Amino acid sequence: MDLRGKPVRKMVEAVSSKEVSAYQLIEKTLENCALVNEALNIFSVIAGVDALEQARAIDKRLEVGENLPLAGIPVAVKDDIFYGVLPTGLGSAAFKEFIPPYTATAVERLMDAGAIVIGKTNIGDMGLGSSTVSSPNGPTVNPWDAGYAAGSAGAAAVITGLCMLALESDTGGALRQGASHCGVAGLRPGMGRVSRYGLNADSSSFAQVGVTALSGDDILCALEVISGPDGRDASLAAEDKWAAGGRVAPDLQSESLTIGYPAAAFDLPEPEIREVYEKARERYQAGGYRLTEIDLGLLPEALRAYYVICLAETSSNHARFDGIRFGRAAEAGDLEELYAKSRRLTLGPEARRRSIFGTYILGKGHYDRYYRQALKIWNLVRREFNRVLKECDLLMLPVVKAAPVRLDEEANFLENWGADLFTAPVSMAGLPAISLPAGQVGKMPVGLQLVGRPFSEKLLTAVCDRLAPENKLFPHRGPS
Amino acid sequence: MEDIKAGLEKAVRVMKIEVEAGEQEKLSAELDQFLQWLKPMLDLETEGADQVLVAHDRISVVRKDEARQADQAELQEAAPDFAGGFYQVPPIIE
Repeated sequence: MDLRGKPVRKMVEAVSSKEVSAYQLIEKTLENCALVNEALNIFSVIAGVDALEQARAIDKRLEVGENLPLAGIPVAVKDDIFYGVLPTGLGSAAFKEFIPPYTATAVERLMDAGAIVIGKTNIGDMGLGSSTVSSPNGPTVNPWDAGYAAGSAGAAAVITGLCMLALESDTGGALRQGASHCGVAGLRPGMGRVSRYGLNADSSSFAQVGVTALSGDDILCALEVISGPDGRDASLAAEDKWAAGGRVAPDLQSESLTIGYPAAAFDLPEPEIREVYEKARERYQAGGYRLTEIDLGLLPEALRAYYVICLAETSSNHARFDGIRFGRAAEAGDLEELYAKSRRLTLGPEARRRSIFGTYILGKGHYDRYYRQALKIWNLVRREFNRVLKECDLLMLPVVKAAPVRLDEEANFLENWGADLFTAPVSMAGLPAISLPAGQVGKMPVGLQLVGRPFSEKLLTAVCDRLAPENKLFPHRGPS
Repeated sequence: MEDIKAGLEKAVRVMKIEVEAGEQEKLSAELDQFLQWLKPMLDLETEGADQVLVAHDRISVVRKDEARQADQAELQEAAPDFAGGFYQVPPIIE
């Protein structure tokens, strides 16, 4: 059974009508996971017995007439999102056997709706970076070309048919870049839309829980379940804002939508990627969308400000891994040594770099110069995006400026951070954004990013399904 | 560069993390690169822009600031260990 053959809604119908049982579906899925994982290193843990028990429970719930909107749907959960049954490695050798004492709200809601967690997907060192190259488990290999990193293991799981939905975190753009590199759709919801309870965030201001799937409608199936107020997350939008924000289905007449694009952002150094984006723009225009050129000149400074804030928050968040409050305690002669050795045990090279730089930035004499300036630029970035989205309904941006990381080359850390140029500023703006397949360079997929106004996730998923099938390049389906 | 080396050393000390000597050299060079990279950000005109303090402006952070009576018994019951009028915590170092 190939999970890519049916949209989520059709699969739910098949499971609910007993055409196939959840148990059969998951049994086959787990077989596939074991086979593919050997080649691509997608999962840090495959659920096995637990997934089969979940499936049995779902079949029983259906037997007694429960209506489950995600009945039997296999979901992969990124390894920085807690599921209190499976080990959650957090991208650290020190947490290899850590089983969280609770489950993230988003995971809990998916499971209540009938979804089945089939495993935890690989992440970089402490979940940092927009690829998995710094993972203590080794990188996840791109399913399209084994010479490259997948970007995100959840996206690799979706495109290889190992799951139908992947629940992932996105801070500076890992989810969106992974979707781009693997040729699937990936939604980062706007801030305040989805509970982050149970997400081990490196940057508290920018980390968000999102969904990757084969289509916008599949993503919507999950989003309808996971979004909404949660008493355990005070950073969710107030309920009155929800009502005003437009949960209502938008008018999707293509001629009524104006998409803004900053021409300078598409002037990329890699001619083949530039060409993919040019062709996509032409297709959208031919399809009746109104494209209007806009100015969005702040992106390079936004990226720099993003890193200042992100590193400062990372250093603060990593402080708790001292071997006493959190993390594994190292062998040590005294308290100071215990702290130092335990932090080293927990944080890998990338996490150490970011935490130490963050501590430097927050130090006396640097705080005003770097951190305060970055907080002001954050404000300018928000204003800039809000201004643009008053002029148009959606904003189009590249997701990536280059192919994913090559597995046989070690890139400079600033080159790796620079990969977030088009995604991190959107995280700063707190707006919803979706990455959808736009074309290919050689074998490798390239995604395009659409950014919407607050609470426009439904619009984004619908436009994704209107635009993506036009590519005819991927096993990507439009609305059923 | 000497300033940066000293700054990095201080950050390592403040953060209380073990870093090997060779790694510290490498990190100093990288910090230098990072600070050079940040320069255009420092030159950006931000006059009139307030610092952002919350991740987004749709949060309801305002509630009435009023004192409420806590239920002591309920709090004690929720604590892992409570004895003799104190919350018991495990010793930090055995």
